[in-house]
Amino acid sequence: MNTRELLSRFHAVASDPRGQMKKYLEAGERVVLTAPVYTPEELVHAMGLVPMGAWGADMPLEGAKEYFPAFICSVMQSILELGMKGVYDGASAIVIPSLCDSLKCLGQNWKYAVPAIPFIPMTYPQNRWGRVGTGFTRAGYERVIADLERATGAKFDPAGLAESIKVYNAHNAAMRRLDEALAVHAEIGAAQRSDLFKSAFFMKKEEHTAWVEELLAALEGEEPGAPKIKVMTTGILCDSPALLDIFDDLGLHIAADDVAAQSRQYRTDCAETGDPLDALAEKFAAMGCCSVLYDPDKKRPRTVVEQAKARGAKGVVVALTKFCDPEEFDVPFIKRECQAAGLPVALVEIDRQMVNFEQARTLLETFRDVLE
Amino acid sequence: MAEEIKKPRTPPDPSSAKYKLSKIAADAYKDAVAAKARGEKVAWVSSNFPVEIPETMGIATVYPENQAAGIAARGAGARMCEEAETDGYSNDICAYARISLAYAKLKSCPEQDVAMPDVLLCCSNICSCMIKWYENLSRELNVPLIMLDIPFNPDDEVSEAQAAYVKGQFLEAVRRLEEITGKKWSDERFQEVMSNSCRTSRAWLAATAMARYTPSPFNGFDLLNHMAVMVTARGKPEAAEAMETLLKEYQENVETGKSTFRTEEKYRIMFEGIACWPWLRVTSAGLKSRGVNMVTTIYADAFGFDYDSFDGMIRAYCKVPNAINLETARDKRVKLCRDNGVEGLLVHTNRSCKLWSGFMPEMSRQIGAACHIPVVSFDGDQADPRNFSEAQYDTRVQGLTEIMDSRKGGESV
Ligand code: SF4
Ligand code: SF4
Repeated sequence: MNTRELLSRFHAVASDPRGQMKKYLEAGERVVLTAPVYTPEELVHAMGLVPMGAWGADMPLEGAKEYFPAFICSVMQSILELGMKGVYDGASAIVIPSLCDSLKCLGQNWKYAVPAIPFIPMTYPQNRWGRVGTGFTRAGYERVIADLERATGAKFDPAGLAESIKVYNAHNAAMRRLDEALAVHAEIGAAQRSDLFKSAFFMKKEEHTAWVEELLAALEGEEPGAPKIKVMTTGILCDSPALLDIFDDLGLHIAADDVAAQSRQYRTDCAETGDPLDALAEKFAAMGCCSVLYDPDKKRPRTVVEQAKARGAKGVVVALTKFCDPEEFDVPFIKRECQAAGLPVALVEIDRQMVNFEQARTLLETFRDVLE
Repeated sequence: MAEEIKKPRTPPDPSSAKYKLSKIAADAYKDAVAAKARGEKVAWVSSNFPVEIPETMGIATVYPENQAAGIAARGAGARMCEEAETDGYSNDICAYARISLAYAKLKSCPEQDVAMPDVLLCCSNICSCMIKWYENLSRELNVPLIMLDIPFNPDDEVSEAQAAYVKGQFLEAVRRLEEITGKKWSDERFQEVMSNSCRTSRAWLAATAMARYTPSPFNGFDLLNHMAVMVTARGKPEAAEAMETLLKEYQENVETGKSTFRTEEKYRIMFEGIACWPWLRVTSAGLKSRGVNMVTTIYADAFGFDYDSFDGMIRAYCKVPNAINLETARDKRVKLCRDNGVEGLLVHTNRSCKLWSGFMPEMSRQIGAACHIPVVSFDGDQADPRNFSEAQYDTRVQGLTEIMDSRKGGESV
C-alpha cells in the first residue's frame, strides 16, 4: 500500500468507531469502553478484552440534557448521548476514571442513563507518588479487574498483563516515532494527522502498531512535502474535521501537540520488570504535564514552550474544549509562558456541537498572518 | 425601586448565638492578620481540609471560599471575577476561584481583606477544581502547597485502601507543615481539638434537626450564615459553646412557638446547593414573601463530624457531601426531607459548581420520587451575579409554591 492508501485506512477506522466495534463483536470479541483521560487500557487488554476509547462525538445533544446541565463539557455530554442512543450497545462495560469533576458526574449519571452497560469506576490518586500513592493506584486497578471479571467473566493473570505492557510500550514508541515523522512531513494534513491518533482508540494496539510501522516505512522512502508554517496544538481534543481543514487551508502544519487525546497518551512507558501491577501504578506516578494530573510545580506550561521550540513551531494553538475547567485553569499560564518565549498564541474555543467555524477561521487567519 | 425602610437596629445581644457566631467568624480574619503581624505563618485553607491539623498546630487560617462568599455577598463578585477574566481566566471557572485568584493578584479588596498566606492547605474532597485553583495560587504567590487528596468515592463505603491513602497523606501533611511553620503537632492537643470539633458538630446537628417541629424554629437562611463557623472554627471551644447556644435558642423557640422565620410558615422546602451570595436578599425574600421556609439543606448533615478516633476522623473526611456517590448523597437528602417534613425541593443549578450540579438533575428526580415532593430548579451562581435572573427565580419559586399548594388542597394561594 502506498502512503495515500495507508492514510485512508486510518481514516476509515477513525471516522467509524461503531463499525469497528461491530467488527470486533461479530468476531466474538468482547469490547470494554474506556473513557478519557487515562484509563488503564492495559488491564482490559490483558484480560483478552478489546478496549475501545470513548471520547464522545460531534453531535447534537438530546437525552444527555436530562442528566447534565449545559455547562458540562461536550465530551462528557456526547459520551452519555451515545450511550443513551444505543451506539455503544454490545459493550460489556465502561471504565470511567474520576480525574476531573465532570468525569465524576459522568460515572454517576451513566448508571441511570445507560443501565445496560455496567459502569466501572477507576479512582486514581492525585498524590500519585511514593508508596502511599502507588498503593492506592494499585488498589484502584485491582478494583477495575474485579469489576471486569464480574462484568465479562474474563480472568486476569499477571503474566498476561506483563505481555500487554510490552504491547502498549511498543505502541507508545511507534506513536512517538510517528509524531516525529509527522513534524517533518508537512504534506500530511491536520485531519489526516488526527486520524492517525484517533484510530488508535478503536483498534487493538498490536494491530495499530503494525499499521503505524507500515506507514513509517512508507514515509521513510518519501521526500517530505514543501514546508509550511509549523505550529503546536495543546488541549484535550483537536479532532474536528471542519476545524482541522482550516489548518490545512491556511497552510498551518501541526508539528507537535500537547493534546490529551493525542501525544499525551504516549509520553510515558511502563517498566517491563517486576510485578506488572506495581509497574503500571509506577507508570501512572511518572505521568504528568497534563491538566488533569496534579502538577504542584506547574510544569505543563513550560513544557509546552519547550516542546514547541524543540520542534521549531512558530506559534501555539490552544484548542480549548468549552467548559473544561482543568484546561481553563492552565490557559493563563500557557499564554504567559508562550508570550515570554516569543511564541504567539491562538485560543480557539471548541465543542462537539460546533457547526459554525467562521470565528475560528478568522482567528486562525489572523494568527497565521502574525506568524508570517 | 421603592426606598427600603430601615428599621431601627437593636444592638445585638452579646449572649445570643447570632452575636457569638458572627464574632467567631470576624475574629478568625483578625486573628490571621494579627498572627501575620507577629511574624507567624498564615495558611489559606480549603473548606473541607481537616481543620484538626491547623487547629492542633495553632496555625492561623484564612478560608478563601468564605472570603469569596463574603466578597460576593457585599457586591464585589462581578468586579473580582472580571479582574480574573482580564488575566485570561474563563468565566466558566468557579467564581470562588476567580475571586480568590483576583485577590491573590490585587492583595486587596475592601469588601473582605485577609492576611496573605505563607502556605496553602488544599483538600480535594470538595472538588477537583480546588486542586487547580490552589496549584495556581501556589504558583502566583510563590508559597508552598500541601494538597491532601481525598478522591470522590464511587462506592457506598470508604475502602481500606482509601483510608490508608488519606492517612498516609495526612501524616505527610503534618510533617511538612511542621517544617514550614516551625510549629509542632501534639497528640494531646489533637484530643482536645477532636473533642471540641465533635461537640460543635453534635450541637449543630441537634440545632438543625429542630426543623422537625412545625413551624420550624428557624429560617433556613440562618444556617447559610452560621455555616462559616462550622467550616472554619469547629475545633474551637468558643464554636462549640456558640452552637450550643444556638441549639438552646431553637429549643426555646419551639417551646414558645417562636421562629426566626418571621412570617407564617405555609410551606417547608429543602434548598439544594450553595447560596447565591450576591442575590441572598432576593432569593430569601422570594421565599419568605410566599410563606416558604427553607427548613433544611445538606449543610445540616454536612458538618456532622462526630468521630472518636484518628481513623474515624480520616473516614469522616472521606464522606463529605461532594465526595460521595449519587446514592449516598441522595439517601442523606431523602432522610433530611423525611425528618423535617419537607414539601418541595428547590435546586440551585450552580453555574460555578460542576460537581454539585453535574448529577443533580438525576439525583433530584430520585429524591422527588422517593419523598413524593415536587422538584424545581433555577439557574444561578454562588458568587458571580451575572449568572442569575431574578425573573426566572421568581417564576420557578412561584411554580413550586403552586404545586405544593395544590397538594395541600389549594386553599393558600
Ligand atoms: S478533562 Fe475537560 S474535556 Fe475532559 S472530561 Fe474533564 S472537563 Fe471534560
Ligand atoms: S463551588 Fe464547587 S467548584 Fe467551586 S470550590 Fe466549591 S465545590 Fe469546588
